[in-house]
Amino acid sequence: MDATTTNKLQVVYGDGSLGIKGANYHYLFSYEKGGLESLQVAGKEWLYRVPKLTFWRATTDNDRGSHFSTKSAMWLGADMFTEATDVNVNVDGQELGQPIAPGNNRFSTEEFADTVSLTYTFLTATVPQTTVKVTYTIAHDGVLTICVAYTGHENLPELPTLGLRFVMPTLADGYRYDGLSGETYPDRMAGGRLGTYEVNGLPLTPYMVPQEMGMHMQTSQVSIARSTSLNNADFSKVTQYLTFAQTKEKFAFSALPYSALELENATHMEELPAPRRTVVTIYGAVRGVGGIDSWGTDVQQPYHIDATADHVFEFVIQPK
Amino acid sequence: MIANLEWLDDPTVFRVGKLPAHSDHTVYRSAAEATQKSSSLIKSLDGTWQFNFANTPEQRLLNFEQLDFSTEQFNEIQVPGHIELQNYDQIQYINTLYPWEGKTYRRPPYALGSDNTYPGIFSDADDNTVGQYVKTFTLPENFTNQDVHIQFDGVEEAMYLWLNGQFVGYSEDSFSRAEFDLTPYLQVGENKLAVEVFKYSTAAFIEDQDMFRFSGIFRSVRLIAIPAVNVVDVHIKPVVSADLQHGDFSVTLTLAGELAGAHAQIVVNDPKGIVVLDKSVAANTTTTLAHEIFDEIQLWSHKQPNLYTLTVTIFDAKQQVVAVAPYEFGFRRLVKNDQNQVTLNNVPLHLNGVNRHEWSPTGGRNVSLAEMAADIQIFKDHHINAVRTSHYPNQVPWYGMCDEAGIYMMAETNLESHGSWQKMGAVEPSYNVPGSIPEWLDVVMDRAKSNFEQFKNHPSILFWSLGNESYTGDNIAAMDAYFKSMDDSRLTHYEGVFQNRVDEDRISDVESRMYAHPNEIAEYLANNPKKPYLNCEYMHSMGNSVGGFDEYVQLFDKFDTYLGGFIWDYIDQALYVTDEVTGQQVIRYGGDFDERHSDYEFSGNGIVFATRQPKPAMQEVSYYYGRYDNE
Repeated sequence: MDATTTNKLQVVYGDGSLGIKGANYHYLFSYEKGGLESLQVAGKEWLYRVPKLTFWRATTDNDRGSHFSTKSAMWLGADMFTEATDVNVNVDGQELGQPIAPGNNRFSTEEFADTVSLTYTFLTATVPQTTVKVTYTIAHDGVLTICVAYTGHENLPELPTLGLRFVMPTLADGYRYDGLSGETYPDRMAGGRLGTYEVNGLPLTPYMVPQEMGMHMQTSQVSIARSTSLNNADFSKVTQYLTFAQTKEKFAFSALPYSALELENATHMEELPAPRRTVVTIYGAVRGVGGIDSWGTDVQQPYHIDATADHVFEFVIQPK
Repeated sequence: MIANLEWLDDPTVFRVGKLPAHSDHTVYRSAAEATQKSSSLIKSLDGTWQFNFANTPEQRLLNFEQLDFSTEQFNEIQVPGHIELQNYDQIQYINTLYPWEGKTYRRPPYALGSDNTYPGIFSDADDNTVGQYVKTFTLPENFTNQDVHIQFDGVEEAMYLWLNGQFVGYSEDSFSRAEFDLTPYLQVGENKLAVEVFKYSTAAFIEDQDMFRFSGIFRSVRLIAIPAVNVVDVHIKPVVSADLQHGDFSVTLTLAGELAGAHAQIVVNDPKGIVVLDKSVAANTTTTLAHEIFDEIQLWSHKQPNLYTLTVTIFDAKQQVVAVAPYEFGFRRLVKNDQNQVTLNNVPLHLNGVNRHEWSPTGGRNVSLAEMAADIQIFKDHHINAVRTSHYPNQVPWYGMCDEAGIYMMAETNLESHGSWQKMGAVEPSYNVPGSIPEWLDVVMDRAKSNFEQFKNHPSILFWSLGNESYTGDNIAAMDAYFKSMDDSRLTHYEGVFQNRVDEDRISDVESRMYAHPNEIAEYLANNPKKPYLNCEYMHSMGNSVGGFDEYVQLFDKFDTYLGGFIWDYIDQALYVTDEVTGQQVIRYGGDFDERHSDYEFSGNGIVFATRQPKPAMQEVSYYYGRYDNE
């Protein structure tokens, strides 16, 4: 018996991770690394490392001029060094904690479930610290729902951004999304036209000083196309797709070959490293870019991200 | 006259032997030439010139202009082009501070009292580079027996001119055309033209624009053969009746040469080509045809830039055509009423504009016609209807292109003395120029006059701008009064009175600010404003920017005294450079040439990248400018 015949999830109770198998996918949730370590669809690996909470955006000229990055500098460290402190597994409504040996000695090769969820609790590398919970819920059809819940805390500076980033092992061929045309931000999206857009490669916006770029607001779904892998035994060049889609609310995303920190460190485009991976970040809150001036005036008030308030966002990954 | 190096130190000397500024028309020998837009009266001197570079005035080669001075050892330079971009001198970008910041202590002559003249401040300086140019030319056959002038469209920042060893003249004002009469010095066969260009003169104090600091002959140079009767100046005054139905056309020609028995035929064709006026008048030094009334005129505006064509044909006493001067002009009615509303052709004026530095990632401020055409196309594609020539007169063809494309212009005079009154963001005008200093009056008036006289016939110009960020004072008030005395068909503009309102009643027809917050603008306009309001600079498009635009455009809905404004700015100032590591062509900006002090990435604030690729923010600009594009 396997998942294809049962229409259920096959669960592998490991000692360092939890495996979930379905018709053509295999997820591996690490208890040590703080999240989804492997997301395999049709044999292709989609993750280079576990998804990471994203709090930093590469400083824009307005951020620099208004000293925003200085005031919120704590979030740069949080972006790099925030760790999971706890993980809880829930199978068909039953809380299992972290089901490693000897607790998992009771299981077999034939373990199935309708729904599995894992909740990772993070404590931000800030002073004071606050809690962020990332919950992965896998439905019987393999659809992965990811919910990120940020708990507001007094005395934390405004957030540069709030997202979850997925680093893929190789460069994407491109992506296709349903959302707004062009590069948009909450305070710069009136001119964006709703539609389906096909993007070749992972284009950068060639700002003289590399900075926050490539945001797509109000997206209902985005499919990343990849035809390469790091698997030495995989010679297939078939293009495969991974789709991120909205649940209740639309989301924002960017798909770039770099993380915010790589962008932050460069003073010119040519200083960026050779592009070799794909960084897809799904955002629940996006800060505006501003524009009144670049030497002190902040982004207009409605487009700030309040770190003292709670923020929750959710989206799904469809393994097809 | 003998060239005097001390002119560099003296703000009262800025033109010697230079002909008066005049309209930017082209003179042709015949109607056929005019049709082909190819004048045999013009010989371009653009191309490769001989060149010697000196780091200081002291190190320059003396007597290089003399016929017996051998220039065989000279290097070569391309004209037009900046000396720095041809790697003779270091490239520098700096914003408001003077380019010698922290290296040379300077104060403007006369700024701290009439005794403080600082002899040698530039003529005996160790940071004032010199470009010595030589061009040998043979006069074309069809130039013989005629007067010959030479035009320099742009030389930064001070130039001395000799022909065949004889001194012709001296000129400052980097961005206005300088014209000299070569006739007395010409010889048969080869002629040796020598130009000595200094990077600094007292003009440096009033050319402190936020830009890369270059020197050299960076715009075109040409010889002009002067016909027996020359059309020196054309001044068209097209006036539209209040009901927009009738045009009152006047033209004043300034003619020179063999006027006895000569006459001028004045023909006007409407935008469809139909002749609506054909009259002949006797050729006099000042020849006027006044108040010709045209019915059912076709107005010029952004959406319908209808142009009429004036053709002046000069017949000599033998009834032979000796000169043809065509000029395209438009009828449009710009009114500021007593409620501080501004209308164009009776429709509220909306300025959906950009500031535009002339910029090319390869040529610097030596911008090609193709780049200008690309800019016009980008404007049209994105509903940009207005341009401020920040912060100096642009190349001549740009004005005609704006006429044709229906782009409203704020024509700015070459004046910015930013470093003299603002330091690290704070107003500190203790040594401000031009201020009210008598010795700095004539030089700024000359710049105003050059701007007006050259471009007065362009329908696209709605505003004369006195300059940028130069604080205030009697001299700027005099510029404002000059423009008003010459022209009642346009408004004057100056932002500097906002910094000190003492002169606001005598300077600028509009309340102009830069980077005002939307709520500050609303506060001004809601409280019995003295003037209509415009943003001479707003939406600072540095890097990833142009957020919150809606708060500005909404002011159009709330206030009929809000005119909109000009985004800062159109194009990133950055240069293509071969990367020292990869060998690839890359984009470099301020500070990337080891120059210090620099203002680094502040050179790039465009809504297009230096490559002219629109930034993503352009779709927002296009959306809002399209929505408020009302005429």
